[in-house]
Amino acid sequence: MSTSSSPVVPPRVYRLVQGAVFLVLTGVIVAGFLGSIPQLDILEQSARNLYFHVPMWFTLMGATILSAYHSVRYLQTGDRLRDIRAREAAWLALIFGLLGIVTGMVWARFTWYVGTGKWWNFDPKQSMAAVLLLIYGAYFVLRDSIEDRDTRGRIAAVYNLFAVVTMPFLLYIIPRQLPSLHPGGEGSPAFSQTDLAPAMRWVFYPSVLGFLGLFWLLYTQRVRLAWLRDQLRDEPDL
Amino acid sequence: MNWLAGAWAVFRKDLRIELRTRYALNSLLLFVLGALLLVLFAVGPRPLSARVQSALLWIVMLFAASIGLGRSFVAEQERGTVLLLQLHTRPSMVFAGKWLFNLVLVGLLTIVAAGPFLFLLDISIRAPGLLASVLALGAVGLASATTLLAALVARAARQGPLLPVLLLPLLVPLLVSGTSATRKAIAGLPWVQAQDELLTLVGFAGATLSASIVLFDFVWTD
Amino acid sequence: MTVHPLHTDDAPSPPQERPDTASAYDSTWTEQPNTQPPDDLEQVMLADGKIYVVLAVVLIIWAGLIALMVRTDRRIDRLERRIDDTGSEDTRQ
Repeated sequence: MSTSSSPVVPPRVYRLVQGAVFLVLTGVIVAGFLGSIPQLDILEQSARNLYFHVPMWFTLMGATILSAYHSVRYLQTGDRLRDIRAREAAWLALIFGLLGIVTGMVWARFTWYVGTGKWWNFDPKQSMAAVLLLIYGAYFVLRDSIEDRDTRGRIAAVYNLFAVVTMPFLLYIIPRQLPSLHPGGEGSPAFSQTDLAPAMRWVFYPSVLGFLGLFWLLYTQRVRLAWLRDQLRDEPDL
Repeated sequence: MNWLAGAWAVFRKDLRIELRTRYALNSLLLFVLGALLLVLFAVGPRPLSARVQSALLWIVMLFAASIGLGRSFVAEQERGTVLLLQLHTRPSMVFAGKWLFNLVLVGLLTIVAAGPFLFLLDISIRAPGLLASVLALGAVGLASATTLLAALVARAARQGPLLPVLLLPLLVPLLVSGTSATRKAIAGLPWVQAQDELLTLVGFAGATLSASIVLFDFVWTD
Repeated sequence: MTVHPLHTDDAPSPPQERPDTASAYDSTWTEQPNTQPPDDLEQVMLADGKIYVVLAVVLIIWAGLIALMVRTDRRIDRLERRIDDTGSEDTRQ
């Protein structure tokens, strides 16, 4: 079921994104440390973490959606490249989710839990994110448990999609019902209009775009690499 | 063969094979009772808060389901009857029959878990209707999620503890709203107070069931 | 959700649930006084308006991305070695 499609992106596009990501993220780091932010009591200067911690979650969401999309396409077409794309997107979702959790732990330790010595407490969004990572861990365990490549792709795609169906409960419905210290705990899953100071938007949105771009770069790299390896394995000489 | 008759035939077949040995049933029930007794020994004679009680009940149920319900598709694979089913029935019939069978198993499991649990821990339920509906909705969600994943696991070469690994993270929404609603039932709150949890349970059961129906074709047919 | 009015005459009822608000989870979520004196780590992290927390977060992300890069690099290495192997086999034949 191999096809002629190739994962190589046009080099010009790739280099363009590379340059843009480099410029934007450098700008975000500079502006993130030097720009002016509103002074708040508990957060103080650590409010600047918004530019670095929150984009991890945006990237995780993007990677999740991308992975699910390619799983659907794999089930429709049986194109092995789709399977590789779904797998690499899930892998990067795991990485960015892990970074999001660890950075969130550090941030919470010195703001919410200061003076208690706690690193982890039952904040619903934090715990649900950990569950999300467990699901992706299970996805890779499942992949490893199947020998035949086409069966593996199909079974993994089915699990991925089934997990995606339960994710809205995990990420939007349950956290709304539990008290949380994250913004938007009561009623809204994300930011509301008032949660983000206008001055911070000018750094925050570019930061999200920059990290999404960075994700795309890493993702295409890994897909190209995995595709190459797959092609090599197919060669009868090996 | 029309659809209902086919699904019913698959269910009857599973039920009859099960009644011949009662392997799944007996092991499941003994697992639940053993787990309950262990819980009782572990917590000792002191009274527990409703939060802990409902958490223990649901943990025992989820673990029992994740261990006991994986048999149905693996057994088909072992007996080599997969091909026969594939030839004679449509995938959705197989899913419906297996789902019904698992639902019966989960229902028995829930009764066996909840009954002795309430009796042994001496819990007085102040809103029995609420508790019953919460457990019923939980059982439907549990059966739907487990049936599809059991079919997935049957395709894997190395099984081991694969089903619990796949299943438990997905069941977290069920666990959270189930325990919360059970706690409210034990405390005797009116139905309105548990509205959010009940809606979440209905939504979870509906979402997993419809996703399973769509996705089962891809697992079952090569 | 304190004691149910109908069951006040019961035998010692199990300890009642605390209400489902943020305070039910942890006292640290509400305005409790800090009980512990700041330890060494906190003294560093809380200095200068907690700016070092931001630094730590940025460093974690940086380290994570570098680790990812190293892993990808190792995969490329392995691929290259395999291509080399097949190349030498080809010349042998």
